[in-house]
Amino acid sequence: MRGVIKSVLAEELENSIRMKKEYEKALKKLPEGCISVKKIKGHKYCYLVKRIGKKVKHIYKGKMSKKEIKEYEEAKMLRAKYRNSLAQVKKQIKFLRGTLRGKEAV
Amino acid sequence: MEKKQFKLCVEILKRFHKAGILKDFILIGSWCIYFYKEYFSDVSYTMQTAIMTRDIDFLIDQPEKIKKKVDVPELLKDLGFVTIFKGSQGYIKLDHPDLILEFIVREKGKGSNKPYPLSKLGMNAVPLRFLNFLSTQTIKVKVDNFYVNLPHPANFALHKIIISKRRTKEEKATKDRNAAVGILNALIKKDENDIIRSVFFSIPKKWQSRIISNLESFNEKNILNILNI
Repeated sequence: MRGVIKSVLAEELENSIRMKKEYEKALKKLPEGCISVKKIKGHKYCYLVKRIGKKVKHIYKGKMSKKEIKEYEEAKMLRAKYRNSLAQVKKQIKFLRGTLRGKEAV
Repeated sequence: MEKKQFKLCVEILKRFHKAGILKDFILIGSWCIYFYKEYFSDVSYTMQTAIMTRDIDFLIDQPEKIKKKVDVPELLKDLGFVTIFKGSQGYIKLDHPDLILEFIVREKGKGSNKPYPLSKLGMNAVPLRFLNFLSTQTIKVKVDNFYVNLPHPANFALHKIIISKRRTKEEKATKDRNAAVGILNALIKKDENDIIRSVFFSIPKKWQSRIISNLESFNEKNILNILNI
């Protein structure tokens, strides 16, 4: 039975390592930053808010279509999901590596 | 199994149901063992023999009959699933820290190592042998307010016995054997020996002899007796 459990854990570790790479790749693919819409004199103007180095920059984008804004909103939501999943996968890897390294009873 | 893993599984099934594609799928793999608990509610049925992984597999018995166009990766994207391409042939899997989703179809003829395209679902599927055995007799299990198709436990268990010897990893073979024997014993307790026998005698002689030799090597005399061998 121990062999079965170990093999399942080893398989799960392999899966988690693969997932870590995939989530990192998926995060890189998402557009950076999020859109902030400011209302100036009754007109709406969009700014892309993103971190460049240590600073948070507001880059003027002008008027954006609803579709473009929606894309950024979706990316924001996915980024949060993927970051959460990545953190979960990293924890799994740590746990599984530790478990598989553990000494067997004599 | 973690509660959130089960919740995610139900959410996936619910979305498939709402999209109108759940009826085209048969849930196979170790998740069946969990859902069989309703079927075995009148006998003692423990899932200790089954070590569940994160893999959740769906068999599509007749992929050409899928009418609805549903982009499955898109349907599950907001749950945090990412699409991955596995191996040189590019089998598509949907990964999530709690579940790994994969579609499987029956392998026909000589077989091929290429994925089977499921263009209507935005996915592809892995063709595997002996799967018609799982789809010939199915049961429906109620989950939430909808039904999920599962292979009949007898078909599931005998299929596991056939494939256990084909496994390259010994541990996987042991896992298959433990799950199969656990389910067959639950069926015996449920007094469904006739069903085990009828499933056994409905399959080709070659498969029957494979089951017998595997059961003999597992020393499962009780089950062999049920089969009158």
